[in-house]
Amino acid sequence: MNMLMLLLRNLARGPSTDAFPFGDTFTPERLRGRIRFDPELCTGCRMCAHVCAGDAIHFDETDEGLRFTLWHNTCTFCGLCEHYCQTKAIHLTDDWHLAHLQQDKYAMIEQGVVAPAACAECGGRMTAPVPALTAMAYRASNRRIEHLQTLCPDCRRKAGVKGGRS
Amino acid sequence: MTTYTIPVGPLHVALEEPMYFKVEVTGETIASVDINAGHVHRGVEYLTMQRNFYQNITLTERLCSLCSNSHPTTYCTALEAIAGIRIPERARYLRVIADEIKRVASNLFNVAIMAHIIGFDSLFMHVMETREVAQDVKETIFGNRMDLGANRIGGVRYDLDAKNQDYLSQQMERMKADLAEIVDIYRNNSMIALRTVGVGVLPHDKALEYAVVGPVARGSGVAYDVRSKAPYAAYDRLDVPVVTETGGDVRARALVRLREVQVAIDLIQQCLRDMPDGPIAIGGLPRIPAGEAIAKSEAPRGELIYYLRTDGSDKPERLKWRVPSYMNWDALHVMMEGNRISDIPLIVNSIDPCISCTER
Repeated sequence: MNMLMLLLRNLARGPSTDAFPFGDTFTPERLRGRIRFDPELCTGCRMCAHVCAGDAIHFDETDEGLRFTLWHNTCTFCGLCEHYCQTKAIHLTDDWHLAHLQQDKYAMIEQGVVAPAACAECGGRMTAPVPALTAMAYRASNRRIEHLQTLCPDCRRKAGVKGGRS
Repeated sequence: MTTYTIPVGPLHVALEEPMYFKVEVTGETIASVDINAGHVHRGVEYLTMQRNFYQNITLTERLCSLCSNSHPTTYCTALEAIAGIRIPERARYLRVIADEIKRVASNLFNVAIMAHIIGFDSLFMHVMETREVAQDVKETIFGNRMDLGANRIGGVRYDLDAKNQDYLSQQMERMKADLAEIVDIYRNNSMIALRTVGVGVLPHDKALEYAVVGPVARGSGVAYDVRSKAPYAAYDRLDVPVVTETGGDVRARALVRLREVQVAIDLIQQCLRDMPDGPIAIGGLPRIPAGEAIAKSEAPRGELIYYLRTDGSDKPERLKWRVPSYMNWDALHVMMEGNRISDIPLIVNSIDPCISCTER
């Protein structure tokens, strides 16, 4: 193929670039962009923080519960946190609009608080098991499993010793 | 004739990355060259020893942008050798697909830059437009244009459903026709021939002596390719032709890269045809015992070797890699002598140097 012919053909085809920001641009479904955290699904296992190469994910205990914080400016968008999250509480969305002003850099975070539950036996504070996780652990649920889920680890051990009767 | 010493770099308008060349010239001819590296050393090898095995998947992927997938693949292979993990069959094929799509983009990028250095910018634009197909494929299937995030310990973390398989095979078909034209231009265009034929010659015996790897070796007729010599992932199940050229000059190396893009597309299609169903990774989290392993792979620039030693903790005791550019740098001494000053950027580009890998 002659180079000149090729150039003429490319000229006839018109521009190959997207018209963004005046038109649409290509955003595939699987794009790894802004991270969303769903506290309802989080079990507090902290595997996401363990696998995070950039140390972008932090957990801290607050009065309201276990607080998850992700710094988008430290994140590499590798997706390991989502991959290793058993209940998929972390999700990388296809939103790539992450440009922001310097003054907003500390606001580029994703935060969520996993609300604590009270133990049905002693009333102590605990992180409640998430249904999505128990669905993975047990083939089916029953009244005993449901009851054990309302107990803190200490009371659960006591209940276990008593053969589940409480 | 007067002799001059010309310093090129480490910061220079004609260099994209920092490297220092002390070039001795007689008139306009290069008499000798002295290469000095180490300007962007980041201490990544040490950093990997401070990160756990999972974090290092992401860290090794960010060593280099163009062969980003080869690093975590080889790292995971070394870890799996220590832990005695056999990855599922489907994962083997998916690793090949990820590796080859990166090779397509990396090799096209290098030959495009070659056209740009010559001053043939319309060809540069055309090759980059063809490469954009590979970029879109990476973004659609993996979610990022450069860092695929395809690997995990014990397999891969992406899968191809029927829709994505169709998309991938369509895009590969689309690239084939464009690629045939591009190969023809690089082989027969007179302007390209004027600047690249007989320039930066590395004879076969010198290629062996300097132990060069990858397209640099194969451009000088050395048929060495890790994918066929020591197959990993699913390469032993695929038909992998070793591409060689005999010229040993800048054009021969460019042609090897272009023809390897064609081979890569063919390998992806073989994978799509032969890939079995099944799991894409082992279940659960692996336990990594104390041990050591060596893994190697054929990165777009050549043979990449990883040495990993573990001590039973969740961090590497030592992680060391030898990158292909390390071997290829030295051959510049042979390639440059007797050439003109104006060909320096062209010859340097022809070894497709990766400074971020070499200096890590």
